[in-house]
Amino acid sequence: MVSDEILRTHLQELRRGTVVVASLVALRRPDYGYALLQRLTDHGFPVDANTLYPLLRRLEEQGLLTSEWNTEESRPRKFYRTSPEGESVLDRLLTDLTAVQTSLTQLIEGADR
Amino acid sequence: MTTLTDRYLAATLRSVPVARREEIATELRGSIEDMIDGRTAGGQDATTAEREVLTELGDPAQLAARYSDRRLQLIGPTYYLAWERLLKLLLSFVPATVGILVGLLAAADGDNPGGAIGEGVATALSVALHIAFWVTLVFAVLERTKTPLHLPRWSVDQLPEGPVDRQITLTDTAASIGFLTLFIAYLPVQHFRSFVPTDGEKNLPILDPALWSFWLPFLITVLVATVGLEIAKYRTGRWTWPLVTVNAALNLAFAVPVIWLMSTDRLLNPDLVNRFEWLNQGDNLNTVATVVVAGTALVALWDTVDSAIKAYRAQR
Repeated sequence: MVSDEILRTHLQELRRGTVVVASLVALRRPDYGYALLQRLTDHGFPVDANTLYPLLRRLEEQGLLTSEWNTEESRPRKFYRTSPEGESVLDRLLTDLTAVQTSLTQLIEGADR
Repeated sequence: MTTLTDRYLAATLRSVPVARREEIATELRGSIEDMIDGRTAGGQDATTAEREVLTELGDPAQLAARYSDRRLQLIGPTYYLAWERLLKLLLSFVPATVGILVGLLAAADGDNPGGAIGEGVATALSVALHIAFWVTLVFAVLERTKTPLHLPRWSVDQLPEGPVDRQITLTDTAASIGFLTLFIAYLPVQHFRSFVPTDGEKNLPILDPALWSFWLPFLITVLVATVGLEIAKYRTGRWTWPLVTVNAALNLAFAVPVIWLMSTDRLLNPDLVNRFEWLNQGDNLNTVATVVVAGTALVALWDTVDSAIKAYRAQR
């Protein structure tokens, strides 16, 4: 039996990158940091706050997200939304994710057990 | 009153670029408050919730590094191998060479061989430290500025020779370097302790002390360079034409001064010649000179021809 440490590292490696995909999908509907964190967690993408907040800023700098300050509520919140560039990158990423899934399925079916 | 959140924000923003500080501050404060609200809504008291949220966000320096995309490593994988190779290459010969030269100069200057060795060792250590520090600093700066290195891509041609094909063995190299080191060490040592029996207390050097002004340091430099050649030869694993050329040049640089000095009676210490009656009788001194000249010329010639033959063989 492999140690929990090794398992955790592999799962982390597998999950890395999917956070970007999930965020780009989720932010088709504009949202702010904490609310996005909650939504991602609820949909089975548990992500650390200290990873997500800097990630949102980086994606914004790369032009994949646009942002807008909302000052109508009790505290000012920065709402992020997937930009057209973000949408086309997301499209590419989703295609690739499907390709990985397909290949993996074929490999599993073709492999002798 | 300064809250934990205020202190956390201040600590994080300290190392975030000024231009974005204000915006990140507002957003991060909002996010922290949202997270605290989320916990208090679940029935937690505000103080505990704040502590837990900040603990979850972790070390402010790490969070700031993520915000500014700064690297949390001194030298990363892009530069590590180049750093390691350069460091090993420089450390393999520079400290030893400089240390030996400084030690020899100190030995030639004063009459304290022990002190000269100490000075050589101390200089070698200090040179090694300087090399390690400056090379690492330059690579750490490259890492931070993300400067591309444009190093040639690795190719299969760079694979080291298999041990079977080796023309130059480690034993040969070690023996050569050992002999050269003894030879180099002997030159200053004979100046202080030649073991030639004398009447008085004073030591009688074998070689003319006047040569320390130029020729002996020059010969020592040539010998140190020969050590370098031995190392280069071992790393290549066989004789190549550039190595043969350097070998020939070093042989010439050693043999020509020795032959010339010996023929003009300037190599041996005049006091030593006077000390031994036999040397002064008839042609005896000339005979010694002829033997030394012929011996030096033969060894230099044989060594050069031998290296050329081996290079020719290795080529095929």
